[in-house]
Formats: sequence, structure tokens, C-alpha cells
Amino acid sequence: MGRITLDKVTKSFGEVQVIPPLDLTIDDGEFVVFVGPSGCGKSTLLRLIAGLEDITSGQIRIDREDATHVPPAKRGLAMVFQSYALYPHMSVRKNIAFPLKMAKMDAAERDKRVDYAASVLNLTDYLDRRPGQLSGGQRQRVAIGRAIVREPAAFLFDEPLSNLDAALRVNMRLEISELHNTLKTTMVYVTHDQVEAMTMADKIVVLHAGRIEQVGSPLELYHTPRNTFVAGFIGSPKMNLIEGPEAAKHAAHTIGIRPEHLDTSAEAGTWEGRVGVSEHLGSDTFFHVHDTGLAETLTVRASGEVALRHGDRIFLTPQMDKLHRFDAEGLRIA
Amino acid sequence: MARKVSTRRKAVNTGIAWTVGLLIFFPILWTVLTSFKTEAQAIADPPIWFNFHWTLENYVTVQERSNYFRHFWNSVVISVGSTLIGLAIAVPAAWAMAFVPGKRTKDLLMWMLSTKMLPPVGVLVPIYLLFQRFGLLDTQVGLIIVLTLINLPIIVWMLYTYFREIPVDILEAARMDGAGLKDEVISVLLPMAVPGMASTVLLNIILAWNEAFWTLNLTAAKAAPLTAFIASYSSPEGLFYAKLSAASTMAIAPILIMGWFSQKQLVRGLTFGAVK
Amino acid sequence: MATQHSRAAARFMISPSVLLLLGWMLIPLGMTIYFSLLRYNLLMPGEHPFVGWENYSYFLSDPAFKIALVNTLLLVGGVLIITVIGGVLLGLLLDQVMWGQGIVRILVIAPFFVMPTVSALVWKNMFMNPVNGLFAYLAKFLGLQPIDFLAQAPLMSIIGIVSWQWLPFATLILLTAMQSLDQEQLEAAEMDGAGPFSRFFYIVVPHLSRAVTVVILIQTIFLLSVFAEILVTTNGGPGNASTNLTYLVYAESLLRFDVGTGSAGGVVAIVLANIVAIFLMRMIGKNLDA
Repeated sequence: MGRITLDKVTKSFGEVQVIPPLDLTIDDGEFVVFVGPSGCGKSTLLRLIAGLEDITSGQIRIDREDATHVPPAKRGLAMVFQSYALYPHMSVRKNIAFPLKMAKMDAAERDKRVDYAASVLNLTDYLDRRPGQLSGGQRQRVAIGRAIVREPAAFLFDEPLSNLDAALRVNMRLEISELHNTLKTTMVYVTHDQVEAMTMADKIVVLHAGRIEQVGSPLELYHTPRNTFVAGFIGSPKMNLIEGPEAAKHAAHTIGIRPEHLDTSAEAGTWEGRVGVSEHLGSDTFFHVHDTGLAETLTVRASGEVALRHGDRIFLTPQMDKLHRFDAEGLRIA
Repeated sequence: MARKVSTRRKAVNTGIAWTVGLLIFFPILWTVLTSFKTEAQAIADPPIWFNFHWTLENYVTVQERSNYFRHFWNSVVISVGSTLIGLAIAVPAAWAMAFVPGKRTKDLLMWMLSTKMLPPVGVLVPIYLLFQRFGLLDTQVGLIIVLTLINLPIIVWMLYTYFREIPVDILEAARMDGAGLKDEVISVLLPMAVPGMASTVLLNIILAWNEAFWTLNLTAAKAAPLTAFIASYSSPEGLFYAKLSAASTMAIAPILIMGWFSQKQLVRGLTFGAVK
Repeated sequence: MATQHSRAAARFMISPSVLLLLGWMLIPLGMTIYFSLLRYNLLMPGEHPFVGWENYSYFLSDPAFKIALVNTLLLVGGVLIITVIGGVLLGLLLDQVMWGQGIVRILVIAPFFVMPTVSALVWKNMFMNPVNGLFAYLAKFLGLQPIDFLAQAPLMSIIGIVSWQWLPFATLILLTAMQSLDQEQLEAAEMDGAGPFSRFFYIVVPHLSRAVTVVILIQTIFLLSVFAEILVTTNGGPGNASTNLTYLVYAESLLRFDVGTGSAGGVVAIVLANIVAIFLMRMIGKNLDA
């Protein structure tokens, strides 16, 4: 089981409150991603759950039991660190077996579990090596192995992929998702990368300055962002946000339209502008459109290859049903 | 990148440096050479350099006459004992300061260092009287206590600088893996800090071995380590150069060898990490 | 950044060191101060009456104190000048490209590991002895009159011996500092048209200043307490010619058994050392986070 409940949790470092009162429930078996820009408090929140930091007030419950004052060693959670934090003086086998040794499990059972974890993670051939002799991806897998052997109530991941190169990152993303499907254990995953969040999560928690901006499934966040912050943070390329008279026409303070919801034309359309930089990805083309009089630039995503060049005149038409409207506080107008 | 230097320039550098180096080393070299001479050859006029009759008789005499090995053993017990006890007390403190730093950690380190600034002569009288009162004068235990205390700040400080280089993540990982404080320190931290601890131990053995204020003032015959043993050669045996040299060579040889191995760490240890 | 748990553990883990050092500092210090206010001589059993500042005025007005103070300053100052200048020169020399650099380095640092009593005895007998010492042979060889160093220039001789012991320390630290100098900085300066002398004075010297300060301050702490070298070579004499403060206090307390005056002298030594220590702490404190 692994249901984690945060009840009016706050955290202050000295005078500075980094987490204002916060409530959150993570259900058993859920894959929850904390996402937000750097300094938003997402890693702090994870460390509070882990018990590596004290909460200043409130309560943390793990499976209905109050864990607020339980030390990390006794919370039954496993954590994968950004730096992997492998024990450099131990072989891979000993690294993975360490939590079992701490749990005073007998040697035979320990070996069985380590061998099983190693086979799942393709580490069988490396069990006698030291972490220093492994590649980044292999180290990552050892860190995961160390976490899974003890069958924790929940896994905590602190930006586990940020030290890997781009190709490996995509692979590991899939492996972790695969692992979640196999183990069905609660996972709490911290990242600043909204693509990771969108692709892996059952539930995303968007954090900003220690505050939860929105909680929801990836598609909920995409389709109905609760405010302009979430609207701008989720989705790539970013949603275009337009203020002023054009927004007023729609009875809003700000309107938002995603790049993929703007139709392009060389002849006619609602808005007119000039093509700046265009990025050709093959499957899509991104145009950065200037001189529309609406915003500094509007980003447009067109399918396939579109024959417009730098300086060309372009017409844009928003898909009206995909238009997001926000009030003066930045909140969504239903 | 090292730049190419002409061979001639290199030869000149080598000549000057070796001359200076040998001059500085000469007293030690001369002592070692003299220890293998007979007493007559040792004071020969003009001095004999290498073509003398090499003999080990001085070493034998020194051992027979003044029981060198007992003093050697005292030095070993006192320096190793005080270092290991100091280490056992300092490891927990250094762990706390390196991994759970608070607002006052820096002040605490500074204060510990300041105890090292207390001139020994300032507390000579009370320590002497206390030792007399508790029967610690001229005992190994007494010297171990004093040397542990005077070197404790250096041990704490050195361990602290080494521990700080270990990422706290790894200790947190151990905590998450269910390790208690004991396992965190003994199974994870200490094995990772082996090189730093080795140099700490080495430097402190050297310092304790050569300590020559307390060892001279608190011992007589029984527990005297080599520092005090050699001081007893001051007169009149001091005039027997060959025997003095043999005793001196035996007193400095072990520590000289250890010192050469620890020269890099020496800088760091003696400057409290200010110069690395 | 830690939990109450770990902070509590930290306090627990740190307390043995703190308590021991606190005891080591306060108990003897308190006793020294207490004794310094008593008339207390081990040769005169009986009462130890409270006499206030008498011991201090006696110790401070003793002509030996003034001599010892001057000797202490000369000893510290002399050794510092020799070792710092010598250390910079040797450091520069050892930093050059040469054959057998490692061996030369080992030769140069060796004296630091020689215990004070050994180096004092070796110098006293085998080098400075006016009859059989090597210096005497050298003088005769050059047709000069041999000098009895420890009788005619006792303090200078001790300064020489102590300098020989501490020169390696200064050299090693300054060499380490020189080697940590970024070569690209020197190359950039060369590209900017700086000659060898400007490079030395504008780049090497400022880089070394911190190491030099550390050398000066740490050596000062040790040099204020020079003891074994004096005990073994001159016993502070002839007269008080080579007595420093440490040796004077030792003589008062353990040779003349005057605990009261010895303690007063100890307190004076502590005050003197503290003045130096304050500078050292500031210095190292600044470098702590660097």
C-alpha cells in the first residue's frame, strides 16, 4: 500500500516560508509528478515526504498512519536521487542489497531479490562492478534497483533523469513507466521538464512558489488549465497569451491559444503578421510570427512542411473552440 | 600545459636545486653516516666521508645501554594510542559538523581551534600537579590523555574538511535505505572517507611522535618516549657522536618515512584546510 | 537543512569532543589563574596564602622577564624572516622544471619530521661544538678561529636550528600554493606583454599572500612555545641569554618549584599568545568557506 496524504503542510527555512499551507493526496498505485520551474519547492516537498526535512507544521500520513515525526529510515519509502547517490565503495550487488541488509534480511533471500532486480534491470552482468565503472544509464538503473528490492510503500524520484543525455533520457523515461506498470506501486516523481511530466504521470501537480497551481491528469491540464501559469507551463511549444483589446473582444483579460490551434494561411485569416524564425522539424513546422499587434511573438505549429519563408506575410486563424479565456487575476473563465 | 624548457635550462635548475636540497638534508645525512662509524672515526680531523669501516656496533650499544626499544615502544603506544582515541572522539563530531551544519558550527570549529592556541606552558603547572595527584606522571596513560586532547582539534578539523567533500546525498540515500545513525557512519561514511582518515592518522602520529613539551615535562625513565630518551643524551653521552647518531637515526627514521608519504596531506592538515 | 532528529543526533555526536576540550581548557586554565594569585612554593609546605597581584608584579619586574620577552620576539621574528624568505625562494626553485624534482622535495622537507630534541642535539654537538663540530673543522680549514656558537651567540644559534626545522614547512606550503596558481593566468599575462618580473610581482605574489599569512600565523603559534631546543642546547643560558618566555615559566615552576610565580608567568604567556591567536582565527575563519 502507498497512500500518502499531506494535510496543511508548511515548511519554513528560518523566516522564509517556502511551502505555504498545502493539502495533497497521493493515491495508492498512482504515478504523481511534481512539476514546476526551479525554486518552486518541488524538491523540498519530496524531501518532506521522504522525511529528510522536517515539516514546520501540518501532518504527513502514509497509509493513514501519522508519519510526521517518523525518521526517513522507518517510513518505508525508497528514493532515487538526482546524483544517484550510489555507495562508491560497494559493488553493484552490495549497493542493491544494502537496504535489505539494513532490514536484517537473511543472506539467501537477499541474494534472490538482488538477482531478480538485476535481471529486471539488465544489470546481471555488472553485479560485481563498482559504480565508478558504470555508465550514467547503468548507474541510474542501480539506483532504481536499490529502491525496488525492498518493496517500498512508495518510490520517490528526485529529477532522476536530469544527468543523462537526451537519447538515454527518453529510454529511461519509458523504462520507469514500464516499471510502474509492472510494480503498480505509488511513485512520486519530481521534474522541471513538463514533457516528462506529461508523458509519465497519472496525475500532475504543478507547483509555483511553493503553492499548488493545479492538480490533474496530463490531458486535464492541457485542455483546461486553471490559470495562466499552468497554461503557459504545460504544453510545448508554449501557449500564446494575448492581452489587451483583442482579449476584451472575448470578454476576458487574457486569452490563450496553443500554437497547434492556430490555422495558417498565406491569403486570409483573423490575424495578420510577418514570419520570423521558422523551425522545421519535418513532421511539424514552428513559425515565430511578429508584427501582429497582439503580442511580441506568436508561435504557430503547422503540420508537415509549409512553404513560408522569413519575412513572408502570414495570416492566422484561431480555432475558436480551443480558445482559453482568463480574468484579471489570471484565473480561467469557464 | 607544461611548456618545453631547454635541456640546458633544465640542467642548471637541476644542479642548483640538488645542491640546495642536499645542503638542507645534510645534517640528517651526516647523522646517519656517523651512526655507522666508530667513535674515533666520528670525531676524526679531517672528517671522514664515506671510506670508513662501516659498523653496527653503535646500534647494539644504544640498545644494550639504554634499552632503546622500550622508549621506541613508548613512542609507538603514545602516538598511535592518542591518535586512535582522538579519531574515535572526533569522527562523530566531524560528522555532525560536516553534515548537519548549524548556525554555530563555524564558531564551534573556531573555538576548538582556539584551544590549540593555548600555550602549553600556560597550563604546565596545574597539569603537572594534577598528574602528580592522580599518579599519572611518567605513565603512558597520562601522555596519551594529554596528546589526545592537544591533537583533538586538528583531528576534528581535518576530518571535517575531508567529510565535507563527500556528497550528503549518499548519506541521505543510506537513511532512506533504512540505515540508522550507526550504519550511516560505519557502513557508508567511513569506508568512503578512508583516504582522508589515513592522512589524518598519519599526520597526527607524526605530531604526537615529535611532541617535545609534554613528553619532556611529564615523563622520567619509565614512560619516556624517544623525544625524552634523546634529550637524555644531552650530556655527557652527547659527546659520543657515533652513539648519539645511532640513537637519533633510530628515533627519526620511522617518522621520516611516514612523513614522506604524507607530505601532500601535511599541508592541508597543518593549515586547517586553508591551503590545499 | 536537516531534521530535528538529525540535529539532536548531531548535538549528541559532538558533545564528547566539546566537553573534553572545554574541560581541557577551563580546568587547567582556572587552576593556573587561581595559583597565580597564591604564594605557593612546592619546597615550602604549609599554607598557600592569597597574595593578589604579588606574583605578577614579581614576575613582570624580574629583569629575566624583560630579557625573555625580547628573546621570544627575536626568536619568533628571526625564524619567521628566515623561513618566509627562504621558503619563497625554495618554493620558486622547486617549482622549476628539473630532473628528480620529487627527490629534491623529499630532501628539503625532511627536517620537519626530525623531532626537536634530535635536531637540537645533532646541531649542538656535531655541528656547533667548538672542538669536534663540523663548523669548527670548516673554520680551521679556512684558517679561521672556531667559534663556540652556543656560548657566544646562543640565541642566534637557536634561531638557526629552529629555522632549519621550520623552513620545510614554509617551503611546502608556499610550493603548494604556487602549484595551485592557474597556468593560464600566467600565459594570459605573458600575452598581455608582462615580463618575468612583472608576472612575479603582479600575479605570483598576490596569489601567495594568503599562504604567506597562514605560514606566518601558524608558525608564530608554534614558535612562541619553543622549548625542547632550548632545554637541550643551552638550558636558557649563558645567564638568561637564550631564555624565552616558555622556558622562563618552566624554570620558575619546575626548576625553582615556585608554582605561584610560574602560574603568573603562564597567564602572561597565554595573554601574549591570545593576541596572536586573534589574528590567526580571523584569517582562517575567512578562508573557511573559500
